[in-house]
Amino acid sequence: MNKRYLLLAGIIIALGVGILFMPAKDTAKQTQPALLLAAIDDPSRFLSTDDITDRLVKKDPALLLIDVRPASQFKTFSIPGAINIPVDSLLSASAQETLNQKEMDKVFYSNADVTSDQAWIISKRTGLQRIYVMQGGVNQWFSTIVKAEKPAETASGSALELYQFRIAACQHFFGSPEMAATPKAGAEKKMVKVVKKASGAASGGGC
Amino acid sequence: MGVIPETWNNVIALLLGVGFGFSLEASGFSSSRKIMGTFFAYDFVVLRVFFTAAITAMTGIFYFDYMGWMDMSMLYINPYYVMSAIVGGIIMGFGFALGGFCPGTSFTGVAIGKIDAMVFSGGLFIGVFIFSELYPLFQGLYNSQNMGNATIYEMLGMKSTVFGFLLIVAAVGMFYGAAFVEKKVKKVEY
Amino acid sequence: MAKNKRDGTFYINPYLGGVLLGLVLFSTYYITGRGLGASGAVKSSVVSAVHTVAPAHAEENKYYSKFLSDDASPMSNWLVFEVIGVIAGGFLSGTLYGRLKFKVEHSPKITSRTRLIAALAGGILFGIGSQFARGCTSGAALSGMAVHSASGIITMLAIFGSAYLFSWIFKRLWI
Repeated sequence: MNKRYLLLAGIIIALGVGILFMPAKDTAKQTQPALLLAAIDDPSRFLSTDDITDRLVKKDPALLLIDVRPASQFKTFSIPGAINIPVDSLLSASAQETLNQKEMDKVFYSNADVTSDQAWIISKRTGLQRIYVMQGGVNQWFSTIVKAEKPAETASGSALELYQFRIAACQHFFGSPEMAATPKAGAEKKMVKVVKKASGAASGGGC
Repeated sequence: MGVIPETWNNVIALLLGVGFGFSLEASGFSSSRKIMGTFFAYDFVVLRVFFTAAITAMTGIFYFDYMGWMDMSMLYINPYYVMSAIVGGIIMGFGFALGGFCPGTSFTGVAIGKIDAMVFSGGLFIGVFIFSELYPLFQGLYNSQNMGNATIYEMLGMKSTVFGFLLIVAAVGMFYGAAFVEKKVKKVEY
Repeated sequence: MAKNKRDGTFYINPYLGGVLLGLVLFSTYYITGRGLGASGAVKSSVVSAVHTVAPAHAEENKYYSKFLSDDASPMSNWLVFEVIGVIAGGFLSGTLYGRLKFKVEHSPKITSRTRLIAALAGGILFGIGSQFARGCTSGAALSGMAVHSASGIITMLAIFGSAYLFSWIFKRLWI
């Protein structure tokens, strides 16, 4: 009986050694659940619209602003300097190539926070580093930069400074039709559309 | 995997269950005193059947996955809620020590007419009912620390293949260990 | 030889039993992508029963409602059928090996009554514990080990560790 058991033990251990030599699945690629949760809770993954605007104005080369809304919405309006990767194609080969630039800060935005957050989580799961969400998205951007609220006379110095900054940024982006037209290489008609919308918003707001 | 039409699902469940129940009963798991033998070192059937089954299934999965006949990463890993799992395990251990059964084996016992198994099974229903009714008390613990579909090798920081190999070695080691201990322990009549 | 096998004392070689069980477990994973289970069937039965008898209460209760809302949860039916199979399989084996008999199995050092009370208490505790751990030895421990589930393995360690401790405390029940 002993010999038989020895044989069986030998067989299963041999199979085990076989397993040892199998190419292991790349499970490390996905971030561990607990780490993911901790990362989600970390507030520093949100960048403010003012922050992004500042970097856009200064033409920060390390900033990669990504609009994750559908292409149609991107064409209608997008934040100057952003590229479009709709969230559904986030995992495509070309998108992944674009996102994999390690020296860049990848900042996702959408209309509010929902889609950009989803894009962030998906990207975090693929192990991407230096990814952020622009808090408030296009809506926030519009209401703070384009339609900047003039603070009351008695407001603090920093509040006034912020307002000045926002006005200047707005003018920087949409101050003149030519400026708005240049970033978008594309159909003439479309460029005109962008300008119209921007100036429409500008006239309604604080520019 | 999963290519079988819906209606067959329950038939398959039934057939697999029959295999499950048969293997358990034939190995002796319908007897609470036999099962408890592992804890008192007079009958290591639980250790032997359990670990053999685990490594057999695991080995099959690894090889099928390697051959491309199966995708290991698609297999369901139950979610890990740290404290809830540990607390649950401790309570179950207590129940095990008193009752001498676990759900699967108690059903096997019921099948052959063991009245203590029937009472145990009845107890299971009552226990689940009690838990559900008192759920608000347990809610916090139950839902805390969700680590998701965590795998043990991820937690230990090793490759799945290494863990698989170690498990096999550990199991075989335990089998020899158990045989050794059995020889030294006083025999119990059951 | 045939006489030996049918008198109720014959059990198959545990390693053979293990391999058979392992093959069943493997087939279950291969066909369904999930492992075996037992406590899950108890849970769905309780939920269904309460829902039938007192539907409003079931829907209000946060625990029952979890399993009612994703109503056609395929796993709940699946496990119930599996458990029916378990009983059938056990019966088959019991018949084959001559173990069919109504009895209360207990250590000669205690009475049947004691055994049954302990079995009831044990069952109740196990039922409660299985809900916390979201599984039992079949679902979490056995199936979990085969696929390296952390929850399964940790739960298993907790069960067996605790059982070892408590069985020595309640040693009188067994030896």
